[in-house]
Amino acid sequence: MVNRILLRKLLRDLLQRKWSLVSLCLIVTIGIGCYISMAGVYRDLSGSKKRYYQNYRFPDFIVDLKRAPEWAVEEVASFPNVRAVRGRVNFSTLIDLPGKDEPISGVSISMPETNTPVLNDILLMSGTWFSGENDKEVILNDAFAQENGLYPGSRIKALLLDKQHELLVVGTAKSPEFVYLISPGGGELAPDPARFGVMYLTERFLQESCELEGAFNQIIGLAHDSSRTALTATFGLIKEKLDPYGVLNTSLAEDQPSARYLADELTGLKITSTVMPSIFLIVAALVLNVIMSRMVAQQRTVIGTLKALGYSSGSITRHYVSYGAIIGLIGGLGGIAFGYWAQGALVTLYREFYTLPDFEPHFYFDIFLIGMAISLAFAVLGTLKGVHHAALLEPAEAMRPPPPEKGGKVLPERIPFFWRRLPFRWKMILRAIFRNPFRSSVNVLASLVATALIFSALSMTDSLDYLMSYEFEKVSHQDITVSLRDPKDITTTREMLLLPTISETEPQLAVACDLKNGPYQKRVGVMGLVRNNRLYTPLDKDGNPIVIPERGLVLSKKLAEILNLAPGDTVTLRPLIGLRKEVLSPIVGTVDTFLGLSAYANINYLSNLIGEEWAANVIMGNTFQRTSERSFLDKLKLRPTVTGIRERTRALIQLDETFGETMGTMMSIMVLFAGLIAFGSVLNTTLVSLSERQREVGTLRVLGYSPANISRIFSGESLVVNVVGILLGLVFGILLAKSLSLAYSTELYRFPAIVYPWRLVMCAAIMVVFISAAQLIIYRLIRTLKWLEVLKIME
Amino acid sequence: MEKKQIILSVKSVSKIYRMGEVDVPALRDATLDIYDGEFLIIVGPSGSGKSTLLNLIGGMDRPTRGRISFQETVLSDLSDKDLTLYRRNRVGFIFQFYNLIPTLTALENVQVAIEITQDTLDPMESLTMVGLQDRADHFPAQLSGGEQQRVSIARALSGNPDFILCDEPTGALDLEASKNILGLLVDLNQKLKKTVVLITHNSAISEIGHRVALIRDGSIHSIRSNEPPKPVEQISW
Ligand SMILES: Nc1ncnc2c1ncn2[C@@H]1O[C@H](COP(=O)(O)OP(=O)(O)O)[C@@H](O)[C@H]1O
Ligand SMILES: [Mg+2]
Repeated sequence: MVNRILLRKLLRDLLQRKWSLVSLCLIVTIGIGCYISMAGVYRDLSGSKKRYYQNYRFPDFIVDLKRAPEWAVEEVASFPNVRAVRGRVNFSTLIDLPGKDEPISGVSISMPETNTPVLNDILLMSGTWFSGENDKEVILNDAFAQENGLYPGSRIKALLLDKQHELLVVGTAKSPEFVYLISPGGGELAPDPARFGVMYLTERFLQESCELEGAFNQIIGLAHDSSRTALTATFGLIKEKLDPYGVLNTSLAEDQPSARYLADELTGLKITSTVMPSIFLIVAALVLNVIMSRMVAQQRTVIGTLKALGYSSGSITRHYVSYGAIIGLIGGLGGIAFGYWAQGALVTLYREFYTLPDFEPHFYFDIFLIGMAISLAFAVLGTLKGVHHAALLEPAEAMRPPPPEKGGKVLPERIPFFWRRLPFRWKMILRAIFRNPFRSSVNVLASLVATALIFSALSMTDSLDYLMSYEFEKVSHQDITVSLRDPKDITTTREMLLLPTISETEPQLAVACDLKNGPYQKRVGVMGLVRNNRLYTPLDKDGNPIVIPERGLVLSKKLAEILNLAPGDTVTLRPLIGLRKEVLSPIVGTVDTFLGLSAYANINYLSNLIGEEWAANVIMGNTFQRTSERSFLDKLKLRPTVTGIRERTRALIQLDETFGETMGTMMSIMVLFAGLIAFGSVLNTTLVSLSERQREVGTLRVLGYSPANISRIFSGESLVVNVVGILLGLVFGILLAKSLSLAYSTELYRFPAIVYPWRLVMCAAIMVVFISAAQLIIYRLIRTLKWLEVLKIME
Repeated sequence: MEKKQIILSVKSVSKIYRMGEVDVPALRDATLDIYDGEFLIIVGPSGSGKSTLLNLIGGMDRPTRGRISFQETVLSDLSDKDLTLYRRNRVGFIFQFYNLIPTLTALENVQVAIEITQDTLDPMESLTMVGLQDRADHFPAQLSGGEQQRVSIARALSGNPDFILCDEPTGALDLEASKNILGLLVDLNQKLKKTVVLITHNSAISEIGHRVALIRDGSIHSIRSNEPPKPVEQISW
């Protein structure tokens, strides 16, 4: 039953507090909006992923081999726990596009001649399947084709082994394998669809071109039990039985970069979609408690009168709970509208990184309902304190004027030495703060939370920048990096130096190895460096160069930990290329690095381990300034053994574009939202103290205080409370940044927590801006307060 | 009394409050001069416009028509800022309900007034003048009504104002406390030579002033002088 009169009172009360209403609803809107949008995107993304993986048969495991005859695939199919398998050719390629300076790295993957369902199937986006008449037909990854302006009918050149082929594009397609278009070899952080190509070629053509007639170099499969432990057992069997075919690598499909990034993103979304809204709603509920307590105190005679008239405590309770309900309702509706919009915006953003079919923002009615329920629940919680007082108030007691405000000393007054020295204005300010412990604490908490959020957002961008400059500026100094298919001897390096544009070269040997120490085992890339390395200088996390011994390995701390090794120990090492024989190697040192699983050795030493005198499979080079790279790249790409050419600056720019911009936008939004928490709570708590102290304001005006004089008292209060909040917030912000860095760190790399002192200052400055905005409104209210009227009213 | 010098004059002042559609005239063509150093009492029934007049004199509000001049300055010509300065430096105000700040001690309530001005009395001295030196650390809630009003007088005094305006200063006090307060005000007038303007609806009080202005329906009806004013001890109601 709705009481019309009480409803009218409610609406008028709310209208009188329009600033509170607006700012509170805004905080609730943001909180619910975050929930709606992120829960929505989570469901859009996970649903789309699930369907995609299922319908296009994303595998459970991947086995890379040197050369497995077709019957080996049948053998794997017969293993227990194996549900389905497919053999395929997966070969790295250089793609040459008309009008492009440098060749583009990519992979070629075999597909059946006719479009039949297979594991890791592809979804045609344009054009057709292979015609069956022409061998040299290619289906391109859709994003790659679009970025490079290629369509069915375009012609491209691609290098397979030592032969360049001219291919006709017949179609473009997406695949669950490349949702996040990144080279499966890893080493890159951001997808660069223009610079990484996936080509689907007919099985027969690819087998012929790669000298794999009647054979495959990769087996992908589905398992009955796809858990890590079950698959480890299966891998053991595969390694044992397929050893003659050279098992190079066994891995879980979910560990591939594309799948990994997608899974991590989903986990992140799930966490943020609960943490962020909670923060906003808890602050909103606390602030609402401050407001409602004040309202009930202000209306105690009204409550007494209503009770005397026969209104039950229940109806009074319902009346005051309705204030929260209205805010919850408005905030909830706002949150749904904003959240649904943001869901669309987020999906658009995600589409730049993740390519999935039918990845659209959907309308989830149940999420809306949950959002609304959460909003109402928190808002009603926000009225608890006030309602409790209202319900307990006895009518007779309520009709009497409130007991006069008690005097008494506050905490700082107990320290007379300090108190006596305090200027008068500060005594007033400290009294006001300590006499309202709940209100002051809410304010401190809100500003703490806002500061911590802002700082961690800023620190995240710094961490990313730091990582990028660390990797691309401090560690790497080369202009280009040329990867070779197989290790080559010293002549290749020399040859490259002969190219007129190259000023300096440095070889490297990167060898994937299985490191073993008793039961502990890990597969890592061991990097062989020349003695006076200048173009690539790995550093520890404090920026000191890592010293590479003549003999033995230097491991990252993390890797040493995993393998339970310490300097002086010996590790069993089996390289996955060359001789592939187990050898023993001493551990000479460990270093703390950002890259989690790194191992370094001297290039000669590592060459010997794989059975070579001297070998390199990466050649880094510096070019003379202002020379066109075209000529040398032209010569290089024709070398059959080149599998990739990477430019350092381009990679950095690309990373900056994809991550930097998105990160920048996200962080700005975060700062804005966090700032609104500060703004809203400062505004509301100050509004409440202003309303309590209107008479005081009037008196001060009579005494000749200007609005500015009075504002200084109120802003002094805000200043003290918020300085405490901001300082605590900065401490929490640093802790938060540290724990975020842990959360984002994987085995592969460590996300550094970067705390620049100037960022702390900037963060405080941002807070000051938001708090000042609230104070400006308060100043306006003090200036326009009809103080004479206030004094005329007898409370 | 020797030569009378006008420090403030009210000329044909009207004040009309707009309450939605209706105009409420609170003052109509009121004219009154206030002399330097006098104790002026404005008496009239409730609702006759006393407070309105006092507020205009005190620079807390502006007249709808007419002019109020303090020495050479016309108050209605002043900006809000200058009006604030006028209140700060020239006027001391005493209210019926004291309007002390509940979270400040007696001494601090006096300090409040001098915080913003230069030419001031020592707050402790002001408190001593009203006989409250021993209660300086008490909060308003710990003081009686009469004591609170005394704090309020000390506060009005400490800014060293040209005149003291009192709006029903004894309206909430019993006879004993009232006489105490009135005695203090007379002392201020005689010993410190402060001009005091006091408004009341209680005609018994009017005996103690040098002059008494009678206000009715928003205009000054008549002015008389008490020759001599009655000592505070002799009045009663
Ligand atoms: N702010 C106001 N708005 C409307 N009417 C007012 C206002 N202040 C005073 N009045 C009216 O003006 C008249 C004079 O009021 P006031 O000066 O307070 O009288 P007094 O102090 O003599 O009792 C009264 O009728 C009162 O209702
Ligand atoms: Mg009055």
